[in-house]
Amino acid sequence: MAAADSPSAALRRDLCSRGIRLAGKMRADVVDLLDAYVEQQGLDASASVAAMEGVPLAAVERWDEQTGTQRLLENLAAYRAFRALLAQMLEEQREQLGEAEAGLGRALAALLLQVSAFAYHLEELLRLESRGIPGEEEAGPPPPPRLSLFEQKLRGLGVLRELAQWAVRSVRDLRQLAKPSPATAAAPGLAESP
Amino acid sequence: DSHIQYERVGADVTMKCGSMDWDAAVTWTANGTDIDESHLNGSYLILKNVDLSQSGQYSCYEGSSWHLKYQTQLRVGTPPKEPVLMCRSNNYPKGFYCSWHLPTPTYIPNYFNISVIHGTKDMVCEKDAVPKNRCHIRYLQLFSTVKYKVTLTVTNALGKNFTTLTFDEFAIVKPDPPESVVAKPVPNNPRRLEVSWQNPSSWPDPESFPLKFFLRYRPLILDQWQHVELSDGTSHTITDAYAGKEYIIQVAAKDNDIGTWSDWSVAVHATPWTEEPKHLTTEAQITETTSASTSSFMAPPTTKICDKGAVVGSGAMAVCWTAGLVVAAYSILFI
Repeated sequence: MAAADSPSAALRRDLCSRGIRLAGKMRADVVDLLDAYVEQQGLDASASVAAMEGVPLAAVERWDEQTGTQRLLENLAAYRAFRALLAQMLEEQREQLGEAEAGLGRALAALLLQVSAFAYHLEELLRLESRGIPGEEEAGPPPPPRLSLFEQKLRGLGVLRELAQWAVRSVRDLRQLAKPSPATAAAPGLAESP
Repeated sequence: DSHIQYERVGADVTMKCGSMDWDAAVTWTANGTDIDESHLNGSYLILKNVDLSQSGQYSCYEGSSWHLKYQTQLRVGTPPKEPVLMCRSNNYPKGFYCSWHLPTPTYIPNYFNISVIHGTKDMVCEKDAVPKNRCHIRYLQLFSTVKYKVTLTVTNALGKNFTTLTFDEFAIVKPDPPESVVAKPVPNNPRRLEVSWQNPSSWPDPESFPLKFFLRYRPLILDQWQHVELSDGTSHTITDAYAGKEYIIQVAAKDNDIGTWSDWSVAVHATPWTEEPKHLTTEAQITETTSASTSSFMAPPTTKICDKGAVVGSGAMAVCWTAGLVVAAYSILFI
């Protein structure tokens, strides 16, 4: 197919492959961090955490029917939210804890960097698709009410769990994106002017 | 009147002869055979500490007229123990199935009811025609952190029991084993075997949800397996096989990102290519014994044709240096 041989198609495949590796590494690190977080925060690993406001849910219906652009936009929105949430968690860690959990703080900071890098990677993919990159909200949502220490810990658990799910979903999404598109313009995710 | 009566193993059972008075003259039969009067209390039949062999048809006849006054099927059994329930997704991301059985038989009919809840949503588990004790569910959502809760209730005439499984979407993903595993020798390569296989046919979309594979192999004469993990492709060449030894080879599969390894595939056997049998091969077969070492063994050197100048000795004992080295190596290998 002509589209599969074009430089932009090759670049898209390359970006997708790198993104898949980034997401895979991110997931492995989140899983390790989750174990450490549960232990150090004294939580029950099997505790159910209700969906919390502001935490992007990875769960999706009709995932297989999504277009490439939908996938990229939803991923980007999610990782931007995680960037803010992890930054908040890091701040809370610094307030709460001393040296005992310094390792946890460093792991959170490293994860925040990976999330930021992945969000940037998604923006690159969107540029390649000639899609406008949605601007980040200037003011953002109103700051959530101050949570108790326990609520902070639970929300942190929820954030890390959803991030782990998103990392798997992102791998799947990028694999879909990396597939050669049909030659017709009707293929999902092909470059179109907005 | 004929009906079915269920009683527990070990119970004491009293059967009345329909509406007959206690002091009426009656005859009881079990499966057509008269029951001794010692089991009667008036017209009541008393069965103490019943066991499974006492299941059957019990009939009561009026003494003089032999009119049938009462009939019942006695079924001796037990209430159900906690059922064994398993759920698995071998066709991710389409859905998953759950299957169940009782750890011990009850000897009477049992009825199973399964409920599946995902968060607050009730899901329908569609019963499979075959096998009977199985049902399947289609995923409505993917990548959810909300757990699935499956409750199986088993009921029979003597009691009920249940069990509950709670799991994540990812945790139950376990593909079926790879299919069509084939292992072939490689011509002119005495240490190689080419292995190929196919994705399990039940895995719906290997392109979007690729599998990785684990291959294990050993010569039949050894117990220890060699393992190779392969992140892509459905073939592999074994390059360290022992020359002339028959191998057993199996492959397992796992989703690249989530879940657990499949069971091992059906085993295939193969022997690396060897040259036409010569006296050296025959000698190796005679002296063959099980070796305690594995991959640390050095392969025997390839048999070479002697150079004229390398012959030692004369007459019937003439051997060349290389042939002598080969014989020596084989001898050491099989000590």
